[in-house]
Amino acid sequence: MDPHYLLQLAIQGILLGGLYGLIAVGLSLIFGVMGIINFAHGQMMVMGMYVSYWIFVLLGIDPYLSLIVVAAVIFVLGYLVQATVVNRILDYPEAMQVLPLVAVGLVLENTALLLWGPDYRSPQTALSLETLWIGPVMIDVSRLIAFVLAILITTGIFVFLKKTRTGKRIRAASDNRMGAILVGINVNRINNASFGLGAAATGAAGALLLPLMPLSPHMGHDFTLTAFIVVILGGMGNLIGALAGGLILGVAESLSALFLPATLKQVVSFSILIIIMLFRPQGLFAGKK
Amino acid sequence: MATSSGPVEPVGPVGPAAVISGHQDFYPALLEAPDSIHLLLEITTAFVVKWLAAQEAVDGPFKRIAIADYNDNKKEGIGMKKKAGKELNRRTFIKTSGAIGLGLAASSFGVPTLLRAAPTKIKIGSIQPVTGPLAVIGQGQRKANIMAARQINAAGGIKSMGGAQLELLLGDSESKPEVGRQEADRLIKDGAVVLQGPFQSGTAMAIATLAEQRQVPFVMDVAALDAITQKGYQYSFRVFITAKGLVGGAIKYLKQVTEMKGVMPKTAVVTNTADPFGKGMSGGFLKGLEKSGFPIKIIDRIQYPLGIQDLSTEVAKIKSLKPDLIFPVSRPGDSVILTRELYKQRVPLMGIFCPGSPGWYEPHVVKDLDKLILYVLVNVPWVNPNSTVYQKANAAFYKAYNQILDTNSAYAYTGTLVIADAIERAGSARADDIVAALKKTNFKDHPVVGGPVQFNEKGDNIGAMTALIQVQKDPDYLKRVKIVMPKEFAQSDEIVFPAPPLWER
Amino acid sequence: MTRLYLFLAVLFAVLMALPLVLGNYVLGIFVMVYFWAYVGQSWNVLTGYTGHISLGHALYLGVGAYATTYFAQNFGLSPWIGMFLGGFIASAIGLFLGFLGFRFGMRGVYFVILTIAFAEITRLIVSHMEALGSFTGIFLDFDPSFLHFQFRGNVPYYYISFGFMVVSMVVVRTIERSRLGRFMVAIRENEEAAQALGVNTFKYNMLAIAISAYMTALAGAFYANYIFYLHPNSMFGMATSIELILRPIVGGLGTIFGPVLGSFILSPLSEISRAYFSKGGLEGLHLILYGVVAILVVLFMPKGVIVYVTKMLNPILKPETARQGKRGDDADGR
Repeated sequence: MDPHYLLQLAIQGILLGGLYGLIAVGLSLIFGVMGIINFAHGQMMVMGMYVSYWIFVLLGIDPYLSLIVVAAVIFVLGYLVQATVVNRILDYPEAMQVLPLVAVGLVLENTALLLWGPDYRSPQTALSLETLWIGPVMIDVSRLIAFVLAILITTGIFVFLKKTRTGKRIRAASDNRMGAILVGINVNRINNASFGLGAAATGAAGALLLPLMPLSPHMGHDFTLTAFIVVILGGMGNLIGALAGGLILGVAESLSALFLPATLKQVVSFSILIIIMLFRPQGLFAGKK
Repeated sequence: MATSSGPVEPVGPVGPAAVISGHQDFYPALLEAPDSIHLLLEITTAFVVKWLAAQEAVDGPFKRIAIADYNDNKKEGIGMKKKAGKELNRRTFIKTSGAIGLGLAASSFGVPTLLRAAPTKIKIGSIQPVTGPLAVIGQGQRKANIMAARQINAAGGIKSMGGAQLELLLGDSESKPEVGRQEADRLIKDGAVVLQGPFQSGTAMAIATLAEQRQVPFVMDVAALDAITQKGYQYSFRVFITAKGLVGGAIKYLKQVTEMKGVMPKTAVVTNTADPFGKGMSGGFLKGLEKSGFPIKIIDRIQYPLGIQDLSTEVAKIKSLKPDLIFPVSRPGDSVILTRELYKQRVPLMGIFCPGSPGWYEPHVVKDLDKLILYVLVNVPWVNPNSTVYQKANAAFYKAYNQILDTNSAYAYTGTLVIADAIERAGSARADDIVAALKKTNFKDHPVVGGPVQFNEKGDNIGAMTALIQVQKDPDYLKRVKIVMPKEFAQSDEIVFPAPPLWER
Repeated sequence: MTRLYLFLAVLFAVLMALPLVLGNYVLGIFVMVYFWAYVGQSWNVLTGYTGHISLGHALYLGVGAYATTYFAQNFGLSPWIGMFLGGFIASAIGLFLGFLGFRFGMRGVYFVILTIAFAEITRLIVSHMEALGSFTGIFLDFDPSFLHFQFRGNVPYYYISFGFMVVSMVVVRTIERSRLGRFMVAIRENEEAAQALGVNTFKYNMLAIAISAYMTALAGAFYANYIFYLHPNSMFGMATSIELILRPIVGGLGTIFGPVLGSFILSPLSEISRAYFSKGGLEGLHLILYGVVAILVVLFMPKGVIVYVTKMLNPILKPETARQGKRGDDADGR
């Protein structure tokens, strides 16, 4: 066994894990506030990728620079989904909450297909082929940037929730919905904002992924599943846990290449998931939100 | 009539016929010399049909054509045609005088057989995966089916059946076998006498079984898995090459290239997508390679799921194995990830030799990967760029859809031509006649590399073969893919092997 | 009540007579209506009555299909027998899943994710088993005969799927009327309370999942011999699990007629929209439509379409209850 190979795998796992974390943070936030699972999460990320793609192709602006715009657009998308669909189903039994969001995903996915066709799009951005070398170990520059930005964005969201007024309201609504209503918080608006924020996080992750992988309308679903696993690992509604969960999953998947074929990678993730749910259902990092 | 401005002139076969014979003599002649009028009207009818087709080629599909026939309620004759066109608000036009005149004249003078005999419709069901993960390919194939049918119609339809027109019924398998089956059943219900499609082997299997159940001929334009034709089905035919044929071609070209260049790669890694085609193809390739005794050691076989987003760990593994060659069996999408990752991780290779799969020659892949995809060798059933059939079809395809006729679309195009040829020879739209004619197919005028299309007792095309293509330097990315073997089809004499490292280009 | 039974009898007779007048294609649509109604009903037994949401029910469908086919191909066992064996295997898996879920107190979202994880793991494992065709899937031989569960036309498939659906309704009705059914509903409404009252919730949850898995697996045998092609992704994938739950939810969860009604709405809808929009340039539109309809139904008819249909039909079918007031609503819906 080549030790460089091991190191290479670990680094790749960590870098990818950061992105997993950012995607999952959005899902975790939405779950934390409303107790709802966003089954359209992956598709929202794909929408983010498309926005970023078109900005890059039509205006020539690099995905890293258009990040804020992409996040804003997907924020609006999330806000609208919440305002039109999710707010109406919050009091439904859980079984009935599943379908509308699955359907939202279906609509988003096929809207992308209808508007932009099925092609795999993989634009070559300025940095998409750049690499750094530390001895024989390669670090992918776009992955590194994505990782750093993912950590920054997650920290940003965390600080936003801790320090700002809206953030505190979101946390209040998340802790106790009835209580929040009683003290005069407009919970519907808070819900809209937090769904929007969760969506924006995943949209931003989409923009960061654009230089890394080919974009097509049908790739959302896998990311939804990955985000589920990460969220369970980190604990539902626990943002820092989601980030850490992302890193763990990234490394675990990456290192599984040592003894398993790529097609069985997910078995590792799902097994971790089941074990965590059995023995530590509150997540690995139970504690403060 | 179909010009985009202003009111339109009514058109019908009678007007021209009357001009030719002279208006004065025309109506009396209906009574006095019905046979010659009959002949004359036949000629002018054919002319009108061609003219309409020409209009359509210039202006795009008609929105609506109203036909005044003497027996409109049966909607036979040329019939009522409705299509979505470019201009949704275009005025409806009715061609009256000429045709009505004929209608009246015909019904009173006993010529009705004339319009009766004019084009009947023969319906062909085209089922392609136009949504779902393989939609890129499916949409191209559907377009090629449509174009082939249009061209046949423009050229006078099925002549042995009085210029009968082909009508393509469209189905979408959504890339799922059960949907493909249900769609096939729907098209059969709508009157399809032949089915074609469907790219995916799984869907092909589902439709082939249905075709056997319903006794409707099924021509697979693309679908490679051997098993489909191993069930002894009587109604299924495959224009595409079998996986076995693909493998044979790959090994043959591999030998020839290494001998010609005097370079012997010692080790290799096989990668493939974990789907029926990827697994069947790479498995067959591994077996074939072992049997052929070609002295190359396969150190690993790396499989990854269809639609994978990240191959960095797999490539890290490849790098640690230090192979000379990679044999990828891929799908559009993962080929791009694989190549970029090979570049980023600086994996030294003699080259990439694809034993037969998409992902290495599509224009957008060639464009996106640019220098990185240069010198990739691909064994593939390919279009025959030297044939006039291909050149014409490609030009028309590019004009109509702004994309080139790639190998899958060209096979889809061939499929429709083969069906039309069989119906032409059968002179009938009955299933058994078409099957009998298909079995005797010997079709040369097709746009792909290979001999004439002939089906063996299993329904496989024995004329199908592969070519070896290489992506070579050319300022125009559309011209980079060149046939290098076999000699009779080659576009470039030079083969670059081993290729320079990815990062030194 | 007599009018209701008369209505159902007439409906039954009409559906039985349909193959006399319909062609293969339309019968094919009905086959899919019945098939999804049956599968939806099987899912309904678990989720509709006990409230535990399974989003991995494709697992049992796949197990049934693969087991039946495996026994038929390797031991020449008729699918008519093989499917019951498949049912037992599916039940065993269901019980294992149920044991983990119910013993370890996984509720709500956690249970949902557990079911997804089980289905996905099975999908991946089957994808690596050469004996089950791995990624290539299994191509079934077409050899029409009653014993082989294979037929040329759609008429036999029509009656078989219709029979499946009717039997499933009878079974669910029986369960509903039994102690088991009452306990299941008690669990759905409030599991802790039921337990406190001495209901052995673990036992009844396990029974529900075993029955549900068993029933779903039987449908797998039908699917295999109707489509003739099995692939792990389509048999165990989440898309199938989602397809499977749409109908009972739209029709009405936890009711006997809900899954059937939902299937009569959604299957033709997907079929018609696909047929109508499958033109060049509109690819994907029919799935958008499908999604929008699903959202609208859940938003505006949260208890399922069945409630409205019942309200509409009640004055005609059950004049006695309609006169007495609202009491009939619930009794009929469930």
